[in-house]
Amino acid sequence: MSEALPGPLAGLRVLELADEKGQFCGKLLGDLGADVIKIEPPGGEPCRHVGPFLDDIPHPERSLSFWHYNTSKRGITLDVRTADGGALFRRLAATADVILETFQPGLLASLGLRYDSLREGNDGLILCALTPFGQTGPWRDYASSDLLHMAAGGEMASCGYDEADVPNAPPIAPGGGNAWHMGCHYAYISIMAALVYRTVSGEGQYIDASIHEACALTTEAAVANYVCRGEVLRRQTGRHHAVGPTNRTQFLAKDGSYVTALITGGLNPRNVRNLAALMDSYGMAGDLKDPKYQDPPVIAANAPHIMELLAAFIASLPAEEVYHAAQESGFTWGKVRTPEEVMEDPHLQDRGFWKQVEHDDIGRTFTYPGEAAIYNGSPWRISRRAPLIGEHNQEIFRDELGLSRGDLTILTENRVI
Amino acid sequence: MRGNDLMPQPRALENIRVVDFSWVRAGPWATRWLGALGAEIIKIEWPENERGRLPSTTTPQNVEVNLNTSGNFADTNVNKKSLSLNVRSAKGLEIVKRLIAISDIVIENFSSRVLLKWGLGYEELCKIKPDIVYVSMSGYGHTGRNHAYTTFGPVAQSVAGLTYLSGLPGAPPAGWGWSYMDDTGGMYGAMCALTGLYHRNKTGKGQHIDLSQMVASVPMNGPALLDVSVNGRGSRRPGFPPGNRAHWPGTDLVNNYRGPTVAPHNAYRTHPGGYNDWCVIVCHSDDEWQWLVKVMGAPAWATDPKFATVSGRLQHQNELDEHIEFWSMTLGKYELTERCQADGVRALPVQSAEDRVEHDPQLRHREMYLPMEHPALGVHKVQNAPFRMSKTPAVNHLPAPLIGQHTQEIAEDLLGLSHEEFRAGFADGTFWPTERARFPYMEEMLR
Repeated sequence: MSEALPGPLAGLRVLELADEKGQFCGKLLGDLGADVIKIEPPGGEPCRHVGPFLDDIPHPERSLSFWHYNTSKRGITLDVRTADGGALFRRLAATADVILETFQPGLLASLGLRYDSLREGNDGLILCALTPFGQTGPWRDYASSDLLHMAAGGEMASCGYDEADVPNAPPIAPGGGNAWHMGCHYAYISIMAALVYRTVSGEGQYIDASIHEACALTTEAAVANYVCRGEVLRRQTGRHHAVGPTNRTQFLAKDGSYVTALITGGLNPRNVRNLAALMDSYGMAGDLKDPKYQDPPVIAANAPHIMELLAAFIASLPAEEVYHAAQESGFTWGKVRTPEEVMEDPHLQDRGFWKQVEHDDIGRTFTYPGEAAIYNGSPWRISRRAPLIGEHNQEIFRDELGLSRGDLTILTENRVI
Repeated sequence: MRGNDLMPQPRALENIRVVDFSWVRAGPWATRWLGALGAEIIKIEWPENERGRLPSTTTPQNVEVNLNTSGNFADTNVNKKSLSLNVRSAKGLEIVKRLIAISDIVIENFSSRVLLKWGLGYEELCKIKPDIVYVSMSGYGHTGRNHAYTTFGPVAQSVAGLTYLSGLPGAPPAGWGWSYMDDTGGMYGAMCALTGLYHRNKTGKGQHIDLSQMVASVPMNGPALLDVSVNGRGSRRPGFPPGNRAHWPGTDLVNNYRGPTVAPHNAYRTHPGGYNDWCVIVCHSDDEWQWLVKVMGAPAWATDPKFATVSGRLQHQNELDEHIEFWSMTLGKYELTERCQADGVRALPVQSAEDRVEHDPQLRHREMYLPMEHPALGVHKVQNAPFRMSKTPAVNHLPAPLIGQHTQEIAEDLLGLSHEEFRAGFADGTFWPTERARFPYMEEMLR
């Protein structure tokens, strides 16, 4: 029944002029029901050239990365840098609630497409410019990439290895394009805040969002640690950065996978008792059931021994089994899973997480990841696969803006669309 | 200008009130931003089972560690008021219901059944406030067989596949050196609250938004998941994860989910070789490579034709990286950055928190860290919003609350309790445990 309900952003129109920096924000808006129109340059967005590709055959319509980040959008091609393209964009902007753009600072203004002028006659228009460093400042025009943001934002300074595991290891940037995710999450928040304000005031506004700042904000307590105590944190294998070495939390299981095993509250009598019970159910408690381990000084003196028993216990079982057994015993542990293992998780299936997305153009259906949160009154959904290049040119330019076939022909021949 | 010392008008979430049961990190990080956007955040706390204020490794060295002196709590909880209230008592529950009745959003990040057990499940919330927006931020969500499992950021990251993305091939996962999914889980909490609020303003209808920290992590692995579901290719393979590279030499040429497969794409040591003296350099095209060659002074090795093409650079990546590092070691990371960027080469320094606060010229220009005075910690820099809204700027306008700091204001001014009733609530353990020492500001309230 809830499937028939519209998403929470139904009725909103978003124009997305975004590359890898902003396409995820467009997906967040589109999957929640907004009518997102992705405006690509003629020939298609360069993100279409990023792999992996369907059946490993490189082609702009076969990029799985593009597919994932562009669900629930319609797609048109338009070169806003041309005079005709700019004029058409202006007409589209008059129908829009939100414009999301990731051009270099000042580019839209240089084309005469300044926010103030786009807003004329459309007071509620919100424009979010999401750029690497924002619209001002000494780094404003610097080139960037996901890796660069993870370096300057502080992520890399916190990720890496214990010297004993990998001597002289570099700081490590986690993969997956997470700098773009960080920027897009904050961009989404700013757009939604502007939309909420608009429901009250009727007024739109301009938003200058910075990916560098978003990344710099995403290192938990590192900044507070520095500003309050002057401390700089060191990298440790698979666990939190810290001033000095802390106990390991990542242990190798029998099947070659790792388990993240947090002992919340540390090795106190209660935790040791529960740990002994868990390990004893597999005959792996060693001497941990000895009542002497209910004495905090004895625990402290034997901490390395207890950690060895813990490591031996985890090494005796497959990681997935350790994960569930520990959680059932009240321990906040998890298996370090690969994406293919995540896809087997029955909990995600229970939540209806995986979505079947039809690619009608090739007659196939593929499984996509679903929603972070279940909205019980206005469901999240993937309303369509990523658009093909210019797939909705006719629908939007002709049916909505009223251009004629002749207009479209001329614009196509002149590489405007 | 940030203008943090001014209360700007208007504010995006003017007149929105949030009942905030959240604790530890992810939930408080969510409501911090709703507060910065102008909502009134009422943080419900109880000192006997507080999690987030203690234990603190971020209390300044010269300050006593207590419930009011965690530096990390202070940054995570700006823009909020604190109501100390025993929600597990009948009287406390009644008071929180009165508060919910005049609020717009209820947000919490407990385990999946806690609010229900308190008698504050979604159905009950609707009876109190029919259009309430209820955001639950549990580890695994309120549905699904593992809903009772618990998470912290590192566990959510592991189970959902984010930890595996990080590290050198053949080594254990390096993972994330902090609770990335507490930061990002907090982002999703704020995103859900704002989305629910927008929907309510448009339709008049509230709803329950069941966010899961673990599940929210999964879509961030999208291209890798599609590589499994579409191509049948898993990530447990030689050369994955490829460290800081786009591709690990000597392994299959497949995309590793960090953008285009190019070289150079790595971290390089810089002068003088200290712990965080590293720069990253990436060339997305042959042109960018030639610009880097020029910045390096066109050394003979770099003009070898084997490095002229991206396939050549990928094939000879180890040699390429050694040469680049030989050069990068001659420069400080900021000087290297400026030289590269002046010629269009993608390069930035690895920055510690100290680097970001003290040395990053861009963050300084953008006023990312501005000082705020906290009643127990004194003046410290606090992190600002990464976006500038032209009409309704997000600003830090209140320091993090002392525990129970606003109990009187909320009980008397907002809920209309008499001063006698307020004092009685202290005497009977509703507003503070009777056996626990009170802070001096509580004695002030009780006068």
